[in-house]
Amino acid sequence: MTAMTNTATTNGDHNVEASAQRYRLINEIRRGETPEAEVHPEVAEVESVVDVDGFSLWYGQSQALYSVRMRVPRGRVTAIIGPSGCGKSTLLRSVNRLNDLVDGVRVDGAMRLNGASVYGPGVDVIDLRKRLGMVFQKPNPFPMSIFENVVYPLRIDGERRRKVLEERCRRALEGAALWDEVKDRLQESALGLSGGQQQRLCIARAIVADPEVLLLDEPCSALDPIATLRVEELIAEISQRYTVLIVTHNMQQAARVSQFTAFMYLGRLVEYGPTAAIFQNPRLSETEEYVMGRFG
Amino acid sequence: MTTAAANTSRRRTPLSAYGAPGVWLFASALVIALVMIVLLLGAIGVRGLQTFWPGPVERIELATGEVLMGVPVRTAAYDPSADESDRFADISASGDAIEGAFASDGRPLRRLYRVGNRDLGQEPFRWIPLPEVRAIDRPAAGTLLERTGWGVFVGRPEALLVDGERTVEGADATLSALGDALDEARDRRAQIERLRDHSLGAIDRKLTKLRLEVRRAELAAERAERPDPLSGGARWGLWIGLMAFAVGAFWFARRLAAGGSGAGSRRWMGLGLACLGAVAAVGVATEHPWANAGPSAEELASIRAAADERRLTLEADYTRVLAQIDAIRGDDARYRLVIEDVSGVMAPESAERPDEPMRVSQVVRIVTPNDAGVGELMGVYLSRWWEFLTDEPRASNTEGGIFPVIFGTVTLTLLLAVAVAPLGVIGAIYLREYARQGVVTSLVRIAVNNLAGVPSIVYGVFGLGFFCYTLGRYVDEGPAEPMATLPWWFTLGGAALMVWTAIGLAIAARPRPGAEASSGQSAARWVMGLAWLGAVALLATAASTTPYFEGFFRAQSAEGSPTFGTRGILWASLTLALLTLPVVIVATEEAISAVPRSMREGSYGCGASRWQTIRRIVLPGAGPGILTGMILAMARGAGEVAPLMLVGAVKLAPELPVSSEPPFVHGERSFMHLGFHIYDLGFQSPDAQAAEGLVWSTTLVLVALVFVLNLSAFVLRGRLRARLRTSAV
Repeated sequence: MTAMTNTATTNGDHNVEASAQRYRLINEIRRGETPEAEVHPEVAEVESVVDVDGFSLWYGQSQALYSVRMRVPRGRVTAIIGPSGCGKSTLLRSVNRLNDLVDGVRVDGAMRLNGASVYGPGVDVIDLRKRLGMVFQKPNPFPMSIFENVVYPLRIDGERRRKVLEERCRRALEGAALWDEVKDRLQESALGLSGGQQQRLCIARAIVADPEVLLLDEPCSALDPIATLRVEELIAEISQRYTVLIVTHNMQQAARVSQFTAFMYLGRLVEYGPTAAIFQNPRLSETEEYVMGRFG
Repeated sequence: MTTAAANTSRRRTPLSAYGAPGVWLFASALVIALVMIVLLLGAIGVRGLQTFWPGPVERIELATGEVLMGVPVRTAAYDPSADESDRFADISASGDAIEGAFASDGRPLRRLYRVGNRDLGQEPFRWIPLPEVRAIDRPAAGTLLERTGWGVFVGRPEALLVDGERTVEGADATLSALGDALDEARDRRAQIERLRDHSLGAIDRKLTKLRLEVRRAELAAERAERPDPLSGGARWGLWIGLMAFAVGAFWFARRLAAGGSGAGSRRWMGLGLACLGAVAAVGVATEHPWANAGPSAEELASIRAAADERRLTLEADYTRVLAQIDAIRGDDARYRLVIEDVSGVMAPESAERPDEPMRVSQVVRIVTPNDAGVGELMGVYLSRWWEFLTDEPRASNTEGGIFPVIFGTVTLTLLLAVAVAPLGVIGAIYLREYARQGVVTSLVRIAVNNLAGVPSIVYGVFGLGFFCYTLGRYVDEGPAEPMATLPWWFTLGGAALMVWTAIGLAIAARPRPGAEASSGQSAARWVMGLAWLGAVALLATAASTTPYFEGFFRAQSAEGSPTFGTRGILWASLTLALLTLPVVIVATEEAISAVPRSMREGSYGCGASRWQTIRRIVLPGAGPGILTGMILAMARGAGEVAPLMLVGAVKLAPELPVSSEPPFVHGERSFMHLGFHIYDLGFQSPDAQAAEGLVWSTTLVLVALVFVLNLSAFVLRGRLRARLRTSAV
């Protein structure tokens, strides 16, 4: 037993020494510092929708985000990758201020959506969320009919005209590639759909009100491979009309669907650039190791 | 390492590790509990169902030579006194005893007979020791007669009389002719009842109303003599100013909360103005109590004169209807039935007039069980049940039906549900969705759970003291000690000031998004809370001591018959609502917290506000749980007795709490209740033996009612759940 522990310690020490040379940024982060992220110049060339500027967030006493600086390009798909607990979902949920629902959340720094402050005084959170669409990890259709699910954002906005609701419901379902499957049973419960259909329904719900940015929080992690494929195709299609910010665990997925990728670690942004560059020619060795699956 | 593992000696599993002996113990505990429940329900079911089965009419000859007739109720062995046992020993030795006079252990048996005929001066139930019986037979014409008064009569019908002439004679002929005569008599009885209840009742109500109108005018005249330092115009101005202030404050707060979106607040503004207009309109329409004017002396005199005139007409009507009733009664008196007991004594019209045979209309049901087939007996049985469920009680509740009792229980339960549902559900929503979870909410939860453990009689005492005697009296007569006008307006102004302070502090201490509250802000929040509390306290004081409210039923109270200031179904249902509030709050809270977080997040993510999320996602999702809690609360309320004895259940309610006259639901009326009725039948009845069967049957009805409520809760919950949870995968 003692022998084994010794070996492990030695191995660990060896790893630390090796990575100390190779992983400069990650080691600084592990020491608790917040180094400047490696941002590729291509990012700056595109006009941004969401501008995260030195944004930090605390859940009570524990800090989840450390002065994140990141510009989300307009009309593109941007993926956020990183190991569990790196704060990528927290960052996503900070954009539509869903973190406000958690008790004891505190933020610092700035975040702007189309130039307007997200966290400034006098911001109407309800209004802000109406400008953003969000899809969650687990499909969460409401216990009502398919039609009512899709038009829910319009209903809470006070839209009562049947014609308008039907028209927009149809457009959203077509946009989510679900129309042909459900057009004959719009009045049936949404809970009767399969998991993949439910998730596409949630996407339809998120785009029905024409959001400025679509936030996807690991939208495929609860789906089987075929449903995942369909949703990925859908994301590619949607990205022609909407800006998409997607958090994913799956590196291949990030490579397939996104044009830009951000790599986060322990609440800090590590490297951010065009997806092709991040996956094939990253500037940092730790990014390379991570996307190759050798780290994290 | 492998050798170490092999050398580890394992202990044998000790006996105590096996659950097998325990299983028998646990199972037997469950079985004992189940057996007790089954026994209880079985006893209630069997005894309750057999009450109305018509037993045979037996003719018994005793050793003393006495002959009597009755319906056997039950037989039991007993320990006779010393001289009785000597006598029975002789009888048993001589072989005179009928078969089965002694139990297998040698003790003598006795049998309870329902012998009826109370108007002939006889105990209606009688224990007969079987060894003293010489013979028992079942005469074909043995008849059990159920009557409107004096309990049952057991005997033999002899003849029908019309105007004193015997038109039909002999038992069989009388029985067969009685059917038609009975139908006619029932029609006449129904006619009389209709005239009495509707025509006479309506005239009576009009007379009462007239009397109260005069009384009210007198009281108003008295009040008008008292001076008020403020003129009517000043009072109006102050009132409208306060209303405008309230609406303005509300609008301002709303605007603040909405972050300045204009359309919504304009709608609220319109609503507020509409409310203001409504209050003003009501004030103008009623002229009460804002106009302090009362009738002058001449006006009062003319009101009195008009009332006197109308009273005369009404009284003439009254006499006319009475004459009609008398005419029908006279017609009714022509048809009479002669029925004699074993010794040939006839059933009289009443105990005071033993020579007059009874009227046909006094017969409720005639049963000749001895030569009847099972079908006929079943008919009697069902018609008795029907009467029991749909008719009013007779003979101080020992006969007739329990319809008003069932009706009162159901009305009470529905009122209770109406009262407890909004209170409990809204309270639970606040507690779970809005309130910041912490020490205070935990304390509130503990308090609510403790409320559920308070003995129900305590609620009864509270209900009587608070609802009936405080709130009810306020509704009747207005505040007991009204404040002088000027201090009262100052109190109201103070409340307004507190509200403005609170709103101002709310603006100052508005939480900044994403930032922690500073100590100044938390202090401001505390002060704000205190200001709200103070405002509520001042408003409550103002409402309870207003000099401008004289009560809605002052005239009735002045006559010594309070309307709401006494026990009634409204206060009883509110008391029960308080009693069942914890059940509803706990059930609703559980149901709300069971709505998955993902649903709420999805809704917030769509841009829904907290209220929209609650209304469209949380409440529908929590529906089944809330409904179950509601129905359980209703079942609990329906079965409660102790508090009801204090706040409104009575032995005999003259009127149902719901009627066709406005306002249709009469919250001030007392009512009858199944639980209280059982207590009354069992312990307060003048004839315990006659009531015993009814106790069982009434208990059966109560148990069935509660069972139906619980069952519907179960079914509803199942259905709603199925609708909500048909999730694929």
